[in-house]
Amino acid sequence: MRTPIAYFLVVSAALFAIGTVGVLVRRNALVIFMSIELQLNAVNLTLVAFSRMNGDLIGQVLTFFSMVVAAAEVVVGLAIIVNVNRRRRTANVDDLNLLKW
Amino acid sequence: MLKSIWLVPALPLAGFAVNLFVGRKLGRWAGILASLLMVASFAVALGVLNDLLELPAENRLFLRHLYDWIGVGRFHVAADLRVDPLSMTMVMIVTGVGSLIHIYSIGYMHGDPRYGRFFAYLNLFCFFMLTLVLAQNFLFLYLGWEGVGLCSYLLIGFWHDRPSAANAAKKAFIVTRIGDTFMLIGVVLIFLRLHSLDFQQVLFPHCGPGMHCPPVAFHTQPSGVYTIIALLLFAGAIGKSAQVPLHVWLPDAMEGPTPVSALIHAATMVTAGVYLVARTHVFFEISGVALVVVLVVGLVTALYAATAAVGQDDIKRVLAYSTISQLGFMFFALGLKAYAAAIFLLVTHAFYKALMFLSAGSVMHGLQGETDLKKMGALARAMPVTTAMFAIGALAVSGVPPFAGFFSKDQILAAANQTGHEIVWLVALVAAFFSALYIARLIFLVFFGDDRTELHAHESPPVMTIPLGFLAVGAAVGGLLGLSAVTGKLQTFLAPVLGEIPEPSAGLSEAMLTAISVVVALAGILVGWFVYGSGKIDWMALRVRLSSVQRFLAGGWYVDDVYAATIVAPGKAGSAFLAYVVDEGVVDGIVNAVGIFVQWLARVTRRVQTGFVRTYALAFLLGAVALLVYVGFRL
Repeated sequence: MRTPIAYFLVVSAALFAIGTVGVLVRRNALVIFMSIELQLNAVNLTLVAFSRMNGDLIGQVLTFFSMVVAAAEVVVGLAIIVNVNRRRRTANVDDLNLLKW
Repeated sequence: MLKSIWLVPALPLAGFAVNLFVGRKLGRWAGILASLLMVASFAVALGVLNDLLELPAENRLFLRHLYDWIGVGRFHVAADLRVDPLSMTMVMIVTGVGSLIHIYSIGYMHGDPRYGRFFAYLNLFCFFMLTLVLAQNFLFLYLGWEGVGLCSYLLIGFWHDRPSAANAAKKAFIVTRIGDTFMLIGVVLIFLRLHSLDFQQVLFPHCGPGMHCPPVAFHTQPSGVYTIIALLLFAGAIGKSAQVPLHVWLPDAMEGPTPVSALIHAATMVTAGVYLVARTHVFFEISGVALVVVLVVGLVTALYAATAAVGQDDIKRVLAYSTISQLGFMFFALGLKAYAAAIFLLVTHAFYKALMFLSAGSVMHGLQGETDLKKMGALARAMPVTTAMFAIGALAVSGVPPFAGFFSKDQILAAANQTGHEIVWLVALVAAFFSALYIARLIFLVFFGDDRTELHAHESPPVMTIPLGFLAVGAAVGGLLGLSAVTGKLQTFLAPVLGEIPEPSAGLSEAMLTAISVVVALAGILVGWFVYGSGKIDWMALRVRLSSVQRFLAGGWYVDDVYAATIVAPGKAGSAFLAYVVDEGVVDGIVNAVGIFVQWLARVTRRVQTGFVRTYALAFLLGAVALLVYVGFRL
């Protein structure tokens, strides 16, 4: 018996919500980054679930693309965070507020 | 030879181009080159004139098509040259007198730092003037008309480091422009109503193209149209020929170098208005009213300027007012339908007024640029040649026989007498009297009486006195060209263009008229001699006693002051209002208000950029939610 699509979507929505809250409330850049990954994976889960429901592979292929892009993004993001940390001895995003009015 | 008429304007144009680009390298050869080209142009013109004279009188018309200038829809203008007795008369003056003045300038402008540039402008002027008189349509004529105005501006302001010269140049350009604008409107009106700008089609619609026509008035439109056209063209003539009320630029134009005054502001450019009216005289005849306007303006100017000349203390300003007065006589003659007499006066005036200006230049040359009559006197001993030349010119201006001015002025006075309106003739006689008076005053104050100079005067070099000699011959015997108003050489030559001159029918007999005008001229000279030359009257004391009259005349009847009060001052006030209130207040205000608003908006809204990453993240989220909600409701 197939698992109903709603189960996947509920898990996915829960993951996405946790990620969103993480992005909004945490101050450590690394944790925010991890939360973003959580959001991305929530979306990936949705894609795979719909792909399974529709019975084709488009959603799964798209997920691979998404993961590749996420990996690249993580590389760039982590490099920035490491560099900021070396210069400013901090990973707190609230301290990085030079670019403003 | 007729076909090479294009060389006549082309040679000065070539001189202009050479002197403009390499004039500085040529050094003193610039003047010689320019003069040689003008003499060559004169020689070609002589050849053309000779060929024209060989044709029978009624066939003396030759049109040289150069190229199609403008062709848009129904609007076609060709660059055509018209060779006929009237245009050739003008060409002979421009090239002949122009050559002499070029040669004189070699000496006069010697040592000027912008020597080459001066000759470039002088050559350019001759090119435009020749275009003006040779043009076969109104637009080509207008090209020359504006071109000579430009050269006049450049040459009056030639010594532009002097503020007075720069201002005089601007004044001349702006005042003549008033007339030019009216004239351009007139030209447009001619095209709109008569559907062509070609002289032949517009002036003589009853004749075929290229055929010579008797200059009979023939109209295809209501005469009111011709009145408006004629008055608009005459407004252009008023500006260019310095007639009342647009005469104010000419006395100030004397700031230019003296050869310029002689060439442009005495012999050629200022007579362009006379040429224009003579050329289009059929318009004026159809109108009738326009002819009366020409007559009145001419007469008023002749009298006004002759009286103002008596009060001037600057040798060149006397001559400037004299020129205005003489031009007034020319227009007066045109108004009397004595077209040939007007052109005759134009020719003789070109000789004697150029002669007088160049002599005055020679005086200034000898006195290191002094122009004040009060600081001259007794120059006859130091400058005998100049004195003799000036005296010949003076006798010609005042109308003493047998000098050229006598014949031309006498014919105009005779024509005035034949109108049957005694008052017109009498006013003209009064103007003639004042002409003799101011010229006598000038000559006695400059060359005779007490020596009031502070400098040691010296005679000018031959390169300056020899052209004076040629002009003096013209001023002395130029009258031979038109001894009689009916059968004179020039008059019969011009008759195919300007119409036959009717035999005098009314008025006094010719001998009587001649006697009266000679008496008037001699009376003027006598009064001038008695006051300024005899030593019996202390004229300096007289000046002081009549100082209000003196100031009135010296200020040219205060016309300049009236203009300053009624036109210049309100104009400046209006400009100040527009500049400081409308522009700075309204226009700049709107622009600044837009800027201030944007600045305020930016100051308020930039607070959004807090610099806190998590705020932005929240904004993303809210935005995404809002979009989703919107899309959800749309579905």
